[in-house]
Amino acid sequence: MAEMIRPGDRDEDRHDRTRLIPWVDMERVRSANVLVVGAGALGNEAVKDLALFGFRNVHILDMDSVVRSNLSRCVLFREGDQSSGKGKASLVAERARELDPEIHIKATEGKVQSLGPEEMERYDIILGCLDNVAARLHLNANSYHARVPYVDGGTAGFRGRVQAVVPPLTPCLQCGMNRSHFKVMERRFSCTGQDTVYYQPKMAAEITTTSVIAAVQVREAVKVLSGRTAIAHVMHYDGLAGTSEVFAMDIDPGCPNHPSSKLS
Amino acid sequence: MVVRVRVRNAETGATVDMELEMENTVEEIIEGVSAYWEKDPGAYVIRKGRRLLRGQQKVQELDVQANEELELIPDPEGGNR
Repeated sequence: MAEMIRPGDRDEDRHDRTRLIPWVDMERVRSANVLVVGAGALGNEAVKDLALFGFRNVHILDMDSVVRSNLSRCVLFREGDQSSGKGKASLVAERARELDPEIHIKATEGKVQSLGPEEMERYDIILGCLDNVAARLHLNANSYHARVPYVDGGTAGFRGRVQAVVPPLTPCLQCGMNRSHFKVMERRFSCTGQDTVYYQPKMAAEITTTSVIAAVQVREAVKVLSGRTAIAHVMHYDGLAGTSEVFAMDIDPGCPNHPSSKLS
Repeated sequence: MVVRVRVRNAETGATVDMELEMENTVEEIIEGVSAYWEKDPGAYVIRKGRRLLRGQQKVQELDVQANEELELIPDPEGGNR
């Protein structure tokens, strides 16, 4: 007996239009385990895009709670969240379930430093939605050692960057860092002689650049999971000029994440 | 031996010429132009054409031509606040 169809059937499939893109592997997207580190501006946008794209298994990690100034660029936060007593990660998970009730999203309140390579091995891809060099270095090193692709995003005002790290083929985040990055990191650790204090400076940020950068991160995740080549290797976005450029990088022979490169 | 290059500030479009020894590193170029332009503290990278240069690379490794233009680009590190 022939299969029965009705007019409008296709409009009942939430992901019908995405399935029309021939190279997108929707089954892989649905089955992939994704770790999103950071539930702030980039994390909000990334999880929104992951949920709408059809990702089903997401874990979000963040140690922070909402403040009212987050509301200008965090699509999943609401007025009143700042006094809800809930962490950013829990709120993002809650709102992602509103976007797609079929998403399995787990929220953890904690630091990225709590994750080592063994934990990272559970994931098929990791998105870094962070705001500091130290956390990025930790995530980069551990995901590289676990051989899990890592897509990092960063913003500063109307500028942004996305780097796709696909171990063991590509340079990692640390390969592209220099003394200026480490000076930024040092400035955030203030040693009083008795204690080390970590402080977080306020940085320029706005929603349009945040949206662009998080969208590129999620698109890179879809590309990698669907077997396409990721950007090689880092995209720099200039929102004021309306331009984006992809720059190639080299593996740094001195980078501790590439032990084999020291042999060549 | 020295080589003269032009460095462009991606944020302002300004340029400055810089005389480099073969032993100078990319990090020294970043620090030199950042100080000249009194840049805000932050992370920066240098690009040569469509390639980002590694901080510890020396000028002699860069295959840089006289008067070639390099560009100083901010490397954004925000996104979670």
